[in-house]
Amino acid sequence: MIDEYAAIEGRSSGYFKLLGLMGLLVALGGAAFVYIEVNGHGVTGMNNTVVWGLPHIFAISLLVMASGSLNLGSMSTIFAVKHFKPFGRFSAFLAIALLAGGLTVLTLDLGRPDRMLLIMLHMNFRSMFTWNVFLYSGFTVLCFLYLWSMFQFPQFTKVAGSAAFAWRFVLTTGTGSIFGVIHAREVFHSAITAPTFVAISLTSGTALSILLLVTSFRLTGRVLDLRLVHALRNALIFFLLLVLYLLVVEKFTKFYSPAFYDVEQWILTGSYAWLYWGGVVLLGVIAPLAVLFNHHWGNQMGGIVLAAALVVMGLFLFVGFVLVAGQSYPLNMFPGYEVTSVFQDGMEGSYAPSLVELLLGLGGVGVSGLLYLLGIRFFRLLPQKATAPEGWDVAWHP
Amino acid sequence: MTMATLDRRSVLGLGGAMAAGVVLAPGVSLLAAPVERTEASGDRRWAMLIDLSRCTADCTACLSACRKENNVPLFGEPSRDVHWIRKVEIRDRDRRRPAVNLPVLCNHCEHPPCVHVCPTEASFVRKDGIVLVDEHRCIGCRYCMIACPYKARSLVYHETRRGLESNPGVPIRSKGVVEKCTFCVHRLDEGREPACVEACKAGGKSAMLFGDLNDPDSDIAKRVRSVATKTIRPDLGLKPRVHYQGL
Repeated sequence: MIDEYAAIEGRSSGYFKLLGLMGLLVALGGAAFVYIEVNGHGVTGMNNTVVWGLPHIFAISLLVMASGSLNLGSMSTIFAVKHFKPFGRFSAFLAIALLAGGLTVLTLDLGRPDRMLLIMLHMNFRSMFTWNVFLYSGFTVLCFLYLWSMFQFPQFTKVAGSAAFAWRFVLTTGTGSIFGVIHAREVFHSAITAPTFVAISLTSGTALSILLLVTSFRLTGRVLDLRLVHALRNALIFFLLLVLYLLVVEKFTKFYSPAFYDVEQWILTGSYAWLYWGGVVLLGVIAPLAVLFNHHWGNQMGGIVLAAALVVMGLFLFVGFVLVAGQSYPLNMFPGYEVTSVFQDGMEGSYAPSLVELLLGLGGVGVSGLLYLLGIRFFRLLPQKATAPEGWDVAWHP
Repeated sequence: MTMATLDRRSVLGLGGAMAAGVVLAPGVSLLAAPVERTEASGDRRWAMLIDLSRCTADCTACLSACRKENNVPLFGEPSRDVHWIRKVEIRDRDRRRPAVNLPVLCNHCEHPPCVHVCPTEASFVRKDGIVLVDEHRCIGCRYCMIACPYKARSLVYHETRRGLESNPGVPIRSKGVVEKCTFCVHRLDEGREPACVEACKAGGKSAMLFGDLNDPDSDIAKRVRSVATKTIRPDLGLKPRVHYQGL
C-alpha cells in the first residue's frame, strides 16, 4: 500500500541545519579537491609508499556500506520477512546515496581526475578496477530498478530485488579483491580478504541502517517498533560473529605457515597493532557484541544504537587498517635479508593524513548525507509507521 | 496519485536510464578496433644483466645519468622523490656475509602485475617486451604502485618545470601521473643503449649489460646462458627481465 509511505515535511529548523551541515561538508570537500588538484598530491600525507590514504578509506567505507545497506530490502524481498517490507525503499535509496558519496571521493582523489572518463573508453578487463566500474554502475542501475519497482511495478520487485541482492555480493567481493588479489602485499593478499569485506558490509550496512532509521523516525515523530530493531540487532550479532570467525580463520591459517610469521607478527605486535586490536577487533567487533549480548543494553534502543555506531566506526578502522598497514609493511623484495635504500626500501611506510584529505573524505559523507536528506524529503521512502503484528516477537533476546 | 508523485517517479526512471547509460556506454568501446601502439619489433626481448661484482656501493653514475636523461625530478622529500632506478643495500640478517649493493629498477616483467591492474591500459607492454606508461592515459589511480612488488613506480607529487638542465628530447614528468623506468626507450629506438648502461660503461665499471635476449649471439644472451644469474622474487612468477650476477 503506497499510502503507508510519506515524505518527511522537511520544514523544521533541525532539518535545514542538517541539510546545511551536509552542504557545508560537500562545499569543503569540493574546496579540498580543488586545492589538491591545483597543488598536486604533495599537499596530502600520501607518499610513494602509502599511495592510498584517508580519501580512499572514506570512499571504500562508503562503498562497502552501500552494499550492506541493501540488507533491509533483501530481508523482505529475498527472505520474505514481511515486517521489513516498509524499509525496502529506504534501503535501496540509501545504497545509491552511499555509492554516490563513495564514488565521488574515489574519482576526485585520482592524480588526474580530469581523465576519469578514460576508464570508460579504454578498458582493461584484467584489472579489478575495471570490473569495479561495471560492478558499481551496475549496482546503481539495479538499485534504481529495485526502487522503481517498489514505487510503481511491485510485480517486478522480487526480480529486481533478487538481482540487486546477488549483485551486491559480487560488488563487495570485487571491492575486497582490489586488495586480496595483489600478491606483492603480504598484509592483505588473501583469498579470505574479499569474503571479509562482504561480512563487514553486512555488519556496517545493517548498523548504519539502524542508526539512520532510529534517528529519522525519532526526529520526524514516527513510530518504529522496538521489536523490529531487536530483529535487526539479532542480524547484527550474527554478522559480527561472522566477521570474528573470518578474522580468526585468517590468522589461524596464516600462522600455520612459517612464510607468514613475519608479517603476521608485525600485524599483531607491530606499529599498527593498536589499530588492529583496538580498532578492528575491540571497537569494531568485541565491544558491539558485548553491548548487544548484554541483557540490559542489548534490549534497549540506546544500547543497540551505541553498538551500531561502534560497528560503523569499526568499518572505517578496518578499511583504514587494511589500507595503511597493508601499504606500510615493507615489500619483501629479498626474503631473509635486511634492505635499505634512499627510497625507503625495507622501512615501514609512514602516513600522517592532512586536513585536505579529511575534508575530501568528509565531502563524500556530505554527498551521501545530502542525497539521503533530500531523498526522504522529496520521495516517499520512509513508512509512516513501522510495526510488527501483535504477538510477534524475535526468537531470541540476550 | 498526484502529479507530484508522478514527477518523482519519472525522476527515478530517468535516473535509472542515465545509470543504465553509464553502465552500457563502456561496452561500446569493445566494438572499437584495437589501436596499434608501436612499431617496435616483437622479435626482440630487451633485458638487462647487472654484475654485482663490478657494482660498488659508492658509485651512483647510473642514477645520475637516468635522472638527467629522463628529467626525473628530486623534490627533496625522501618519501616523495621520484626514482626510476635506485641503489639498494641488502644484508643477511645474521650479518655473516658482507652487504651487497645493487641497482633496482623496473624489471619489465613478462607478466607485469602493474599492467594487469591498470584500468585504462595506460601501463602496457610494448612488442619488444618493454613495460611503459602512457602518460596521457594514466589517471593517477596508483593501483600499479600497489601491485608492483619492486617499488619501481613513483607518483609525481608536485608540479615540475623544464629547466636549463632538462633534456629537451624527453618530456618533463607530469604532476599526478605514475612514472617508471622505460629502459630509455627513446634511445633504444635510435639504436643507443639506456643512459644508465652507458654511464656505467663510461665510469669504467661496465657492471650493466643490456641487449636482446632473443638474439642468441648478443652478449647478454651469451652471459645469461653461461653464468649463474638471479632475478628478484622469481617465486612470484612474473619473469623479470633484469638479471643479477652474483646476487
